[in-house]
Amino acid sequence: MPKITVDGKQIECRDGVPVLQAVLEAGWDVPHYCYHPGLSVVASCRLCLMEMKMPHPQTKEMDWAPKLFPSCQTPVKDGMEVRFASEGVASSQSHVMEYYLVNHPLDCPVCDKAGECYLQDYSEKFGHASSRMVEDKHKNPKKDIGSKTLLYSDRCVVCSRCVRFGDEVAGAGELRVINRGHRAEIDVFPGVPLENELQGNVVDLCPVGALLSKDFLFQQRVWNLRSTPSVDPTTSAGATIWIDHNDDRIFRVRPRFNEKVNEWWISDETRFGWKYVADSKRLNQPLQRDNGAMKPLRWEAAPELLRRLLDEAASADQGVGVACVLSPMLSCEEAWLLSTFVRSRAPQATLVTGYVPVSGPDKTFPKGFKISAEKAPNRRGVESIIKAMGGPNATFEQFVKSAGDGKFKLAYVTGGYPQVWLTADQARAIGKVQTLITHDLFESALDEYATIRLPGASWAEREGSFMNADGLIQPFERALKPLDGVKSDGQFFHELVGRPGLYRGAKTREAMAEKIPAFGDIFVPRPEPEHAH
Amino acid sequence: MELIQNLLANQLFFSVIMMAVGLGVIAGVSAPFAILFERKLSGWIQDRIGPNRVGPWGVLQPVADGVKFLMKEDITPAHVDKPVFIMAPFISMIVALIGFAVIPWAGEIHFPWMDEGATVRTQVANLNVGVLYMLSVASLGVYGVVLGAWASNNKYAFYGGIRATAQMISYEVPLGLGVLVVILIGGTLELDKIVYAQAQSGVWNIFLHPVAFVLVLTAAFAETNRTPFDLAEAEQELVGGYHTEYSAMKFAAFFLAEYSHMATNSALVIVLFLGGWAPLPFLSFWSPEHTWWNVGWLAALIKFGCFFGKIAAFLVFYIVIRWTVPRFRFDQLMRLAWKGMVPLAIGALVLQVLMTALGFIIRPERGFAGNLPTVLFALAGNAVLIGLAMFVTARSTREVTGRQDNLPAVGNRNANAKLSGIIQ
Amino acid sequence: MIRDEDIMMVAPPTLTTSDKLYLPQVIAGMRTTLRHMFSVAKRAETTVQYPEQKRKLRVENYRGVHRLNKDPDGRVACVACFMCSTACPAHCIHIEAGESPWPDREKYPVKFDIDELRCIYCGMCEEACPCDAIELTPHYDLVGKSRQEMVFDKEKLLRIFDETKDVKPRKNPPVTDYGLTGGQDKAVARPTAERKV
Repeated sequence: MPKITVDGKQIECRDGVPVLQAVLEAGWDVPHYCYHPGLSVVASCRLCLMEMKMPHPQTKEMDWAPKLFPSCQTPVKDGMEVRFASEGVASSQSHVMEYYLVNHPLDCPVCDKAGECYLQDYSEKFGHASSRMVEDKHKNPKKDIGSKTLLYSDRCVVCSRCVRFGDEVAGAGELRVINRGHRAEIDVFPGVPLENELQGNVVDLCPVGALLSKDFLFQQRVWNLRSTPSVDPTTSAGATIWIDHNDDRIFRVRPRFNEKVNEWWISDETRFGWKYVADSKRLNQPLQRDNGAMKPLRWEAAPELLRRLLDEAASADQGVGVACVLSPMLSCEEAWLLSTFVRSRAPQATLVTGYVPVSGPDKTFPKGFKISAEKAPNRRGVESIIKAMGGPNATFEQFVKSAGDGKFKLAYVTGGYPQVWLTADQARAIGKVQTLITHDLFESALDEYATIRLPGASWAEREGSFMNADGLIQPFERALKPLDGVKSDGQFFHELVGRPGLYRGAKTREAMAEKIPAFGDIFVPRPEPEHAH
Repeated sequence: MELIQNLLANQLFFSVIMMAVGLGVIAGVSAPFAILFERKLSGWIQDRIGPNRVGPWGVLQPVADGVKFLMKEDITPAHVDKPVFIMAPFISMIVALIGFAVIPWAGEIHFPWMDEGATVRTQVANLNVGVLYMLSVASLGVYGVVLGAWASNNKYAFYGGIRATAQMISYEVPLGLGVLVVILIGGTLELDKIVYAQAQSGVWNIFLHPVAFVLVLTAAFAETNRTPFDLAEAEQELVGGYHTEYSAMKFAAFFLAEYSHMATNSALVIVLFLGGWAPLPFLSFWSPEHTWWNVGWLAALIKFGCFFGKIAAFLVFYIVIRWTVPRFRFDQLMRLAWKGMVPLAIGALVLQVLMTALGFIIRPERGFAGNLPTVLFALAGNAVLIGLAMFVTARSTREVTGRQDNLPAVGNRNANAKLSGIIQ
Repeated sequence: MIRDEDIMMVAPPTLTTSDKLYLPQVIAGMRTTLRHMFSVAKRAETTVQYPEQKRKLRVENYRGVHRLNKDPDGRVACVACFMCSTACPAHCIHIEAGESPWPDREKYPVKFDIDELRCIYCGMCEEACPCDAIELTPHYDLVGKSRQEMVFDKEKLLRIFDETKDVKPRKNPPVTDYGLTGGQDKAVARPTAERKV
């Protein structure tokens, strides 16, 4: 652990990090555009310059060197002494900022980045109030560089983060800096648009408003958004994300730094995988079959009805004929509550791991970022709960087979998949169950056989935790109110079990950890330094 | 004709007439017009014109208001205690009106066709404990407020009711003590006699006990829940106070009760301190030998007129005070009652007791001049009382805002620093 | 954090004996009240018989109903920057932005609704607008038969501009936004124009 002195204060830092990273972690606000801990260092933005003590060439005494050093490129060394709070550094910063704004169109009112833009922040904190530029500004039209991204070149500060990201992390390298001097700009090769599977990250990486997502374009000003920490529901990798939402509407999903899983990145699948939350085809009314036709069921009446049905089915044989399909879209807490409820009424009920969608092989990118093939967030969590609960269990295929053989009298089938997940044959087999309770987001092939159909909530409307493929349990919070007419799954299972009060992920996790100690060990990534970006 | 004359000579019948006049005039006419008058005066005080759209000079405004109140939807919220909720405004109203029963409007009247020396009283009931009756009825007034507030099942209404109760209990004390002073002057509880004594001697009780007068007047304000004592309906804090949940005619009943209450209390103060129907102070208007003020319609009308004039003046005073003195804070209200008014009232009472013990007693038959020593003594005593009050207040260094002791004082540097520490 | 220099010392008022006795001050207050009560001339001067008479307004800064200004080409001047809805303390402005159909600017409001019932007419939106597109007019007697009717949409707000532009013409906004608002004289917007540094 080297110790360095910054502005007269001694700080301890990690080995081998640049001074910039060390001081950012210690809480300094040092302006920087090109430096990103996940990318190679180019020291091109010249904003993070610092003063450093060096031996005087003649006297050999340690003194402040007259030259400024890029702190992003200077590794920490024990005993080194640097400073940012000096006139030289401040004037350098303000002059560099002035250069950056020479050609900047100052169209903040219509720029989507306004509010989280580091040109704004740094000009306010380190820059000038006015510009001395009297020439015509160099104007660049905006460019369509890919199906999901727009490039506003005149807002660009040519930090080359996007270029390096494409080269190093995504391994695609579509973006390049073309031209020189003040005409330098980012561009794609003719006929090669920015289309790799991680391209959305360049929008987050861009410290200014140059790269903007078409999906979010003009949708909302960023200061109106509230961010809720969440976990990616699309794959089993368990990438941590921020859900940016307002008025119970998701507007975008951004990566949340996670040193163990996704670092600073997420795939486009995760980034745009929330659209089904706002789908107008979502179920929003509990239904009950009454003489063949589906009639509305009140949520308040549902727990009592389910208890009665379950008791009837399990009265004779300890519930051997009862099955409960725990979808890997459920959170650990919800799966535990539901299985606890089913087992409390039917001790011999079969717990089934729900259908796990898989598409293609796992994909690994040059720096180790992975897109996992398993398209459900919590397969491992559900499996470990079923294992911990003991008793009869089955895979989804076994369940479908034995249901087709008429083994089950009652089945509670949870879904929650954004896509179609059942074939007609599977549905017909499951349909042989006399009392079928489905709990799903969308209409499915099971509907025509269902006795009770409950609408589920999407992950953004629930809270709990997912266990990713590596066994990390990561909690996520509720971002939105459930759709009108929908009750969040956790709250409903909470009422089924008969627990008092409101469902809370953390509380349930505590109760669960008492029964299954492995669930007491959750992982929350460390926050990024306040002034890093 | 004969029959009418006979009936008019009958006290019972006359009481019924007085009752009709009292209820009709006070509740049916005066109160609505007092409301119009209040709105007009409020307007003038605020450099406005006031109601002027309904009828000439806006005189039909009360009619329009009444129609509006009658036509409005009368909402009884689902969460209220229904019987009490409906009863409360009418309890308020009734209590405000029954106080009039003992007000001696114009003393006794002798009509020419009556037997020599026989008179009828212009009073519904001449109780020999009239003062006590007035006191008890006045304190009953809070029942309407408290019951309405409680039955509303609304926390703001409830706060209002609680405030009204605490205020009523506190201000009963100085009111009672102030009234006691008057009782001691005349040695009677009969309102009629108190008025006759003042009319005969010309020494209105206000000249003897200005301090007690101010105290009773202030307490009367508090009893009616008028500014600056309208904490029970402090709209900035309590939405509407005790009548938050009331609408239409039930609300109007509360509203009318307030005005009737004002009139009752004014009448009480007038009877006790301002000579009742007596037109002018310093002059003797009545004595057992010279009863011409009792004779005939004209005399009766003049006496009625004087009394009503005084009440009207009081109502104007109420309104002017409303736009002059801002509402008290609750702790200030309590402090005023218990630390200011109660000691002063006790002082006034002691003064009167001393006067009685030392023989400074009002003898109505001697007229104003004959009672001058008593008056001067009483005024001197009051001056001493005021002097004492000034002395005590001048010595007190307490801040006027009356902040609680456990809060840091305003302007205390360290305390502010501490507070800002909390805010961080 | 509260800084020391921001703390204002307020000394408690020192009271005279008459203040402490309270009643003399009440009487002094009553003098003021009564003076107003009997000043007929002042009353006549301050009161206006509203529907028949109307007060003369200061057109430049009266805060009545809103309007959305049009640029000289007749297009809406708003660039949908959401500054007004951000500044609005009553949250009565609802904007939906879209890509503008015109080449000289990025964004324009697809929807622009102001709930005139929610609005408190504070003028913060006008204050916040970077291109002087939203303005308050001297129009104050607006009525409607339903709440829905009182939510003014873009078309209605633009119509109000047409109705009120004679009374209160649009100011030429002196901002250097490089023609983004489109509605202004390019000579003013050009960076070569004279400017204060």
